[in-house]
Amino acid sequence: MLSKFSTLLFCAVAVGAAGAAEPLHTRVDRLVDAQAAGQPMAALSTDAEFLRRAYLDFAGDLPTATEARAFFADKAADKREKLLGSLTEAPRFAERLADALNTMLMERRGEDAEWRKYLQASCKSGKTWDVMAREIISPDYANPELRGAGYFNLRRLEKVGQQETDYPGLTRDTGRMFMGVDLQCCQCHNHLTVKSYKQADFNGLFVAFQNAKVAVPDATHKTAWVREGAITAKYDFVSVLTGVKGQTGPRVPFGEEIATPEGDEAWLVKPDPKKKDPGTPRVSPLKEIAARVATKENTFFVQNIVNRMWWLLMGRGLVEPLDLQSPLYPSSNPELMDALAEDFVAHDMSLQWLLKELSLTRVYQRSTVLPEGAAPADTLFAVAKERPLASEQLVRSFLRATGVYEAATAPGVAKGQALADYEKAFRIAFSNAPKEPELTVNPTLRSALFLRNNELVLSTVRPGNGNLVERLGTVTDSKAVAEELYLSILTRMPTDDETKEVAAWLEKYSADRPKALGHYAWALLSSEEFFSNH
Amino acid sequence: MINPLCTPLDHALTRRRFFGMGAGALAASAMGGLFSRAAAEEIRKKEKQVLFVWLDGGMSQLESWDPKPNTVFGGPYRSIPTSVPGVHLSELMPGLAKQMHRLCVVRSLCTKDNAHSSGVERIQRGDPKTRGVPYPYFGSSIAKLMGPMESHLPPYVCIKPGSGGFRSEDAGFLGPKYGCLAFGDGLPPEDLLRNKSLEEEEDEARNALRARMNERFVAHRAPNNTEANSHVFDTARELMKRSDIFDASKTKPEDVKRYGTHDIGRHMLTARRMLESGVRFVKVTSYGWDSHGDNFNAHGTMVPKFDQAFSSILEDLAASGLLESTLVIAMSEFGRTPRINGHAGRDHWPEAWSLAMAGCGIHGGAVVGETDAKGTEVKSSGYDIGSLFHTWYTALGIDSVATEYDNHGQPLPIAHEAMKPIKEALA
Repeated sequence: MLSKFSTLLFCAVAVGAAGAAEPLHTRVDRLVDAQAAGQPMAALSTDAEFLRRAYLDFAGDLPTATEARAFFADKAADKREKLLGSLTEAPRFAERLADALNTMLMERRGEDAEWRKYLQASCKSGKTWDVMAREIISPDYANPELRGAGYFNLRRLEKVGQQETDYPGLTRDTGRMFMGVDLQCCQCHNHLTVKSYKQADFNGLFVAFQNAKVAVPDATHKTAWVREGAITAKYDFVSVLTGVKGQTGPRVPFGEEIATPEGDEAWLVKPDPKKKDPGTPRVSPLKEIAARVATKENTFFVQNIVNRMWWLLMGRGLVEPLDLQSPLYPSSNPELMDALAEDFVAHDMSLQWLLKELSLTRVYQRSTVLPEGAAPADTLFAVAKERPLASEQLVRSFLRATGVYEAATAPGVAKGQALADYEKAFRIAFSNAPKEPELTVNPTLRSALFLRNNELVLSTVRPGNGNLVERLGTVTDSKAVAEELYLSILTRMPTDDETKEVAAWLEKYSADRPKALGHYAWALLSSEEFFSNH
Repeated sequence: MINPLCTPLDHALTRRRFFGMGAGALAASAMGGLFSRAAAEEIRKKEKQVLFVWLDGGMSQLESWDPKPNTVFGGPYRSIPTSVPGVHLSELMPGLAKQMHRLCVVRSLCTKDNAHSSGVERIQRGDPKTRGVPYPYFGSSIAKLMGPMESHLPPYVCIKPGSGGFRSEDAGFLGPKYGCLAFGDGLPPEDLLRNKSLEEEEDEARNALRARMNERFVAHRAPNNTEANSHVFDTARELMKRSDIFDASKTKPEDVKRYGTHDIGRHMLTARRMLESGVRFVKVTSYGWDSHGDNFNAHGTMVPKFDQAFSSILEDLAASGLLESTLVIAMSEFGRTPRINGHAGRDHWPEAWSLAMAGCGIHGGAVVGETDAKGTEVKSSGYDIGSLFHTWYTALGIDSVATEYDNHGQPLPIAHEAMKPIKEALA
């Protein structure tokens, strides 16, 4: 009797603790610490590391030297929380998130003004992920506010030369981006290694896309759009490996087949070749798919986005690879994944909320510096991971650091020197090839030549318009110069050795001091430290 | 992250890594799993090179390597004798006729694909037995098997009209590192030339400074992109040093005249300078050979230009001694139909077509196989592209049967396993 009672009491206490709504970020830390039990963990990041990281992740650029000094001098115990608060309230946060979503969803397939507008407006208004996903999978091309979302499908359905329209590619990407499952292999047979991926999973999704066609603008559609056809019969497929036949109607992977009318009944208005009427389907296959993909009941949908947002801030997914969610690739911390998914759904699938919670964790705030002699497994998140910077982050950071941002965004800016020009040049130099997920951004010959010789790049470190190099030209104390250089570009104070190095450099090239300053700044800007989110 | 065996092309490894290539980096990758290390070293010792001329669209064999004058499908052009008694080429190739003793013309090509989009891929990738992974283009294979030369210049480049850039897709399962660096219109890559505001000394000084900063940064961190970073900056420097390759003012006017001022002439001349500077594999691409209409005027214009450029480079490579160590290939994705269609054109014909080779390991002055009197079919058994890959590897001193790729534990042959080198084509 007593033991039962105490068990009940214990449960009550436990429930009470949960019921008092343990904040997600606390729960995350608890679960990560539990898994890493005993392993050495990195210390929390220094103020310098943290400040830079927070700005890059949430504003997509860097703080000024003044902002940095103020943050370092601030003695408040909660200054990091306050900073995160102000960064996530600022308009730049929505733009940063929109950039990240663009790279994730379009994988550098092209630029589209409407698409960008859609992403930015959605992020700004705090549109929840399930709504966004539905608007992207099943776009409303007639609605000027929402047609931008249709770029995801439209771009992938464009015909390239003599090649067939890439329906399999669009099918695959829908599975990858929205459910974290790459079913490409399953077009022709059941997956050879991921046993849970079946041919019917790919083809159920495929049948919904395969009658979609790119259409020219007309009375109701001001821009190119995608017209759907009707699914008039089940889709027959056969395994090229076993010869086993199969059949499916539209179906979300791993889900129930969606009943749709067949034959003539599938059409509301039958196609009429004489009248050149492509017909109107009774049911929109994409709408049916979207409704069943983008819902909290679809665990793949929820876990996919949670995993990707975790990856965005921590540099490694809880499930890796990001698009092979399956029993074969389980989450490295299932309890943690469940906690994230649960709270995310409870907060209506708000990306902004999730990112903010994650930013408050100790996991996020850890240093990237390894504890002495330790090499903990990546999956433990005992050390923060260095992450690459996207071209969008790089260009803004570059311009902020060199003090050129104001001039580039001023009205009446010289042709070829506006922010948009820099953005384009940096995107060409620093993005991955199209159709490659931008999980890492590796150094390339193009980027090396760009940094070394490109006029736009080098113009930022020549004195002018009150930029960094110009301002430093009048500062005679080399210690002050070193401080300003390092704070502006690397968001930290220089070490003693670095201060000496600056002095020696300026001494050696005293004949042309502005040039010398420019070269030193350039070296900092081209360094790995600048290019890494550490 | 690798998606294992399945549908082709999209399965290329997705990490994009274009490293500058030092021998060190390559040795490291050979350890990671190619074939035997000793074999790798052996292959790399031989400083062989490749010139691969790609005539995109399908050059007509009847208007070039295998003319059939005075036959029902022969068309209006005649044939001319060459430097090899008994061998005739189209009258559109007077320059190459004089070089026939250096050439090996295979007239018995018989391949499977008559579509451009798939045919080009099949031919350039050697069309081996399907393993569910995208095979690399020949250039990428050579970049992997032989690496860059002492010059440290990129090992696989392409000079082509239109845009340049880095084509990582060429490398297939080998990984983007072995892709192709394309020079659009033979022009240098963007930002190749040292910025006018810089002198060499200060450029070196600021780069040395940058390198020191990087050393400090990685001291306490997981080694990340450091090696890659320094390699690309080094390759950039090497390429910058050789920017004269792209400097039109450095070419001799008589060379420009000899090769021709048309696209293929200029590009072929740039190719020669690339080979001379130590680029392992140089591809020259020429477009526009797909003459479904007006075939005779089209080829009447294009073949002589090709003839002028190609015979010039053969002459020059022979004169400089480079021909001995350079494998030269000129081909398309298929030939053209003997039958002349209603637009005075020829359509695609993979069933019986030709290619030409010269140089390292190749039997000069040879004709391999023959087509029937009308040129419609190959008389003996035809050769598929797999046989050519075997032949090319053998000519370069690479054992095309014993050598294998190691695709993360999956051993893969470098050429179609059921085919063999063409003995008559080899020296």
